[in-house]
Amino acid sequence: MSEKTDDRKKVKVLTKERTDLLPFVRFKETELAVAGQSLTRTDDPLKVTGKLKFGADYSPENFLHGKILRSPHPHALIRSINTTKAEQLEGVVAVLTARDVPGRNGFGAIIPDQPVICDDKVRFVGDGVALVAAETERIANEALALIEVDYEPLPAVFDPRDAMKEDAPKIHERGNLLSYDKLRKGRVEEGFEQADVIIERTYQVPFLEHVYLEPDVVMAYPRSDGTVLVEGPMQAPFTVRRNVAPVLGLPISKVRCRQIHMGGGFGGKEDSPIDLGCRAALLAQHTGRPVRIVLEREEVTIQTAKRHPMIMEIKIGALKDGTLVSFQGVIYDEQGAYASLGPKIPPAGGSHVHSMVMMPGPYVIPNVKVDAYLCFTNHPYGGAMRGFGAPQVHFAHEQIIDELAEELGISPLEIRRKNAFELGSETATGQVLDQSVGLRETLEACAQTFEWDRRSRETGYIDRDRTRRRGVGIGMGWYRTSIGTGGDACGANVYVHEDGSVLLYTGITEMGQGAFTVLPQICAEELGILVEDVRLVQPDTDLVPESGPTVGSRSTTLMGNAIIIAARQVKQSLVEAASEMLDIPPERVQFRDRKVFDADNQSNSLEFKQVAARCMATGKRLIGQGWWAPPASSLDPETGQGVPYFVYTYSTHMAQVVVDVETGEVDIEHYVAAFDVGKAINPRALEGQIEGGVAMGLGYALMEEVVLKEGVIQNTNLQDYSIPTALDVPDIRPVILEVANELGPYGAKGIGEMPNIPATPAILNAIANACGGRVRSLPADPEKIFWAIREAGGPPER
Amino acid sequence: MSNIELSFTLNGKKVEAAVAPVKMLVDLLRETFNLTGTKVGCREGECGACTVLMDGEAYNSCLMPAHKVQGREVTTIEGLQQADGSLDPLQEAFMEAGAVQCGFCTPGMILNAKALLSKNPSPDEEEIRMALSGVLCRCTGYRKIVQAVKNAASESRS
Amino acid sequence: MSHVFKDLHWSRDISLKEYLVPETLAQALQMLSDYDGRARLIAGGTDVIVDLRRRNYEVEALVDISRIPGMDGIDLEGDRIILGGMVTHAQTAASRLIRDKAELLASACLNVGSPQIRSIATLGGNLVSGQPAADGSIPLLALSARVAIISGKGERVVPLKDFFLDLGKTVVDPTREILSRIEFDSLGPNQGGCTLRLSKRKALGLPIVICAVVVTVDAAKQVIDEAAIALGPVAPIPYRDQGLESVIQGKPATMKTLHQVAEKASAQCTPRDSLLRGSCDYRREMVKVLVRRCLKTALEQAGCTLN
Repeated sequence: MSEKTDDRKKVKVLTKERTDLLPFVRFKETELAVAGQSLTRTDDPLKVTGKLKFGADYSPENFLHGKILRSPHPHALIRSINTTKAEQLEGVVAVLTARDVPGRNGFGAIIPDQPVICDDKVRFVGDGVALVAAETERIANEALALIEVDYEPLPAVFDPRDAMKEDAPKIHERGNLLSYDKLRKGRVEEGFEQADVIIERTYQVPFLEHVYLEPDVVMAYPRSDGTVLVEGPMQAPFTVRRNVAPVLGLPISKVRCRQIHMGGGFGGKEDSPIDLGCRAALLAQHTGRPVRIVLEREEVTIQTAKRHPMIMEIKIGALKDGTLVSFQGVIYDEQGAYASLGPKIPPAGGSHVHSMVMMPGPYVIPNVKVDAYLCFTNHPYGGAMRGFGAPQVHFAHEQIIDELAEELGISPLEIRRKNAFELGSETATGQVLDQSVGLRETLEACAQTFEWDRRSRETGYIDRDRTRRRGVGIGMGWYRTSIGTGGDACGANVYVHEDGSVLLYTGITEMGQGAFTVLPQICAEELGILVEDVRLVQPDTDLVPESGPTVGSRSTTLMGNAIIIAARQVKQSLVEAASEMLDIPPERVQFRDRKVFDADNQSNSLEFKQVAARCMATGKRLIGQGWWAPPASSLDPETGQGVPYFVYTYSTHMAQVVVDVETGEVDIEHYVAAFDVGKAINPRALEGQIEGGVAMGLGYALMEEVVLKEGVIQNTNLQDYSIPTALDVPDIRPVILEVANELGPYGAKGIGEMPNIPATPAILNAIANACGGRVRSLPADPEKIFWAIREAGGPPER
Repeated sequence: MSNIELSFTLNGKKVEAAVAPVKMLVDLLRETFNLTGTKVGCREGECGACTVLMDGEAYNSCLMPAHKVQGREVTTIEGLQQADGSLDPLQEAFMEAGAVQCGFCTPGMILNAKALLSKNPSPDEEEIRMALSGVLCRCTGYRKIVQAVKNAASESRS
Repeated sequence: MSHVFKDLHWSRDISLKEYLVPETLAQALQMLSDYDGRARLIAGGTDVIVDLRRRNYEVEALVDISRIPGMDGIDLEGDRIILGGMVTHAQTAASRLIRDKAELLASACLNVGSPQIRSIATLGGNLVSGQPAADGSIPLLALSARVAIISGKGERVVPLKDFFLDLGKTVVDPTREILSRIEFDSLGPNQGGCTLRLSKRKALGLPIVICAVVVTVDAAKQVIDEAAIALGPVAPIPYRDQGLESVIQGKPATMKTLHQVAEKASAQCTPRDSLLRGSCDYRREMVKVLVRRCLKTALEQAGCTLN
């Protein structure tokens, strides 16, 4: 290893200059004034006082209530629809069926395959077959009940493996196999021949509901100039606009989408606002009045996207010393009724490809083969949910690594030390990780904080009755920043005003993650002003530059870079003006704390606003426009080889649990989660992402599941669909490490999704360690744990 | 349908309203009084986003027929802020601890914490978690919320 | 409106003609009688409002009994504990009397929903809803509680073991009658009790199995004179396993007895396979564990040393 490499491996190392890719990134940690501070969130004062308005808090003037008639059948032909009675009900203003769609009768985040209103057939329980707009919510609901639909039920398919069979009922014209992707590296058969130990396991995960606390709502307004405004909580206003326009038969320029603060999104509000936006806009266009659709909680569960369920078969081989030599995986990925965010956007976009790329885990394995099948079924559809295909495969690979370690007689810590990525490692897709690889650092930091050595010895029975056993577990993970599509770019505008105040325009949305604090921090840092000097404009497609969706843990990094570019454009003017005013060469002009000063003589200084005013007075440009796209992704469709994502965040979690071996109940006693985030722009907000993510991973591990029976969801409300309460989540200890990303603002990379991913397997591994039973199908609820202990022949003796 | 005339104290002021049979308190607050800080998340008393205080105790306003507030004293999140604009120590503590993310559960969390601290000024962690167990949060993992309540408690003791 | 339609389409509005707030029991009965089965009683409302929203039943009016004075007391009369019909779960859980004399009821009340629910949901309402998983009903069954029901014809007192008829159905007709109080004998020095509950999460949890027992032992604390064992939701109604109780009667207070009884309880119960609560097989196993643990705790509370 060269010295350079050793340097980079150190925690808290900041990047050197990389002029070829990001000419403007040049900084030292000590120079940062605003970025890196745990500042209070900009929207907190409105949130703690109840003044912040969410979507459902708006009642547009003279608005109509929109409602959707949903299919009770998982798969059926529509023979006829009779809307006469509904139309005659007093107070009903419009009843729309498929023939009322003026443009494209389809929407979708990737492929527009979901009908705005079903025409000839329905494909899941909840598919929309008619729309109603009425003067009151009650009338709208009564009208729905009066619509007569004559269905001819068709055989339905509920398992992705059944869906691939030749005689399976065909859900879409294109066939049930939506995507087949493969990854080939080395020769797996030869790898298994070398292996001393080979194990094979199957893991399964169910549909999951996001349970953002704020139910979906959207409002659509027809405007006299022929444009349509769509408002609501939405993670991806540009995607909504891209869908609403063709449905209404309008050019994109005539549809305006405005984002309202979200009460949580977690990927779910990428899809649902497209669905509701198209439908509300259609009703608004037909009636000429504003239309609001608010979903009740049960309707959110029935109608909106879920986390994809998967069946994952893995065969893994290792040498006696734990060195991994071969990995073979098959993924049966269930898409449900519509394509949503599942299929591939070349080269490496879409959740399915992401699952495939992530499946072998953050380990060096010379021989890898993955076959990934994405199939339609007559279930609700899988979309984006915090981790986008990664939580599922982490659940599998992190468990099989532990099962393999047990077979080899080495500790879970050792097998990870042996195989984890480090700087220069080659991934299963052949990508050489050439910068910002802090995985091993997270493993060691986590082990140290958690006191792994001590805790891993203090396992076994903890009570005299011998009913409660303690155990520890590790979960490791990696997650991309960016989305791996061709068009993954962010735009930002920065306007500086003569009084020193600043407007920042971006299309990145706030859903609780803190973008509206972190992005102004980056802007303020660049301009040497304070966060309160920067006002972030609420995302509005008529005002802000295209920014792509707020997904893929991309906002801080990609938008951060765009903001830096925009701010530096303005800064050119400011530097010129200040150089004249201070009578110093431009390279000596510096900005900090609202001051512009001479680097060599700090007392020679001006107020930032004085400089801004001079720019204004002398006609210098005070508008900056930034645009940043990550380096191009690549992934060979035949071999799955290439560089799908430009940088990754790394993490290790450790959990200590107690299992009641008689009932299967689990208590989480202690939890540490360590991350290499590149650079924490707002450490406290980042901790919040970690703690919340772990809680979500805990729910996936222990209690969450969308229960389906013949295509019908059995737990649509929050009593039956359980998410963790304050009594279920332990006191999580976050550990933040910074191995700088050369391509991120101040070294940052994404964090939004990573925290929930390794949490699930860390808890599952701890459970197995505690009770001797291994649960390979989520959720590991008390019953599954109970039977797993039975299957293992009872708890261990000691 | 016959409306009932209600009078009660809302955020310190006497108010009156004509209410339809089984209007839920949450809808009365949001629609008639425009107090939209009280949120609707499930309408079945599971998420706790609609929590309000009635005579100092926390209740789910989504399950409470508005008629039950007749003659009572109701406090919503909007009522915690003083007339001079100053915030309740809990509101300050939530901001300082980073206990707010999407903010949808925040009013319910703060009001449950308020009910707790009024009965028990020095709660331990378990008591805090118990008091907050009827408000679901999907963003924070609860840790910073628990911390905020602890901080507010020790703040008001000192 | 079809079952399928209402499960897929939700509305926030509940339609109702009248919301009535009587000031006396007599007024309440009259109001119910005026509506002749089309009005229903509401106490805390946490079940009624959910049922109305889910359109499980329809009514024209609600009669809210929460303003009737004198129904929210917890009193001791001799050895008898009397809870008014409007006593809430929070009140019960916090009551010094209940914690001292019927701790199994206090702890069970803390398992209900969340603090906000417990503050308004009444034990009486919990019983009248007739759900097999009703947390209050199981320990009250074990305590051999009796309930007083008043109607136009006067008052009758019904032992709780005869109270539950079927899923959602009890001897109380909430469109005509009022559950006015619950009473049971406080536990004596030779008695012990315990309620245990299993669920997937620690608050707001859907119960998988709930078990409550009350035991009475002899003066020497060696022999079980009597044991009351109540279970839910492992049948359409919460119930006392009296076959089991006769088996345990007179047996020595040993772990061996507990194991035998637990095995029997498990064999005799008939939970259905539930996609949300768990399989029949698992819940039977859990009945075994919970019955044994409850008995052990209760016997220790009664002063026995188990081996």
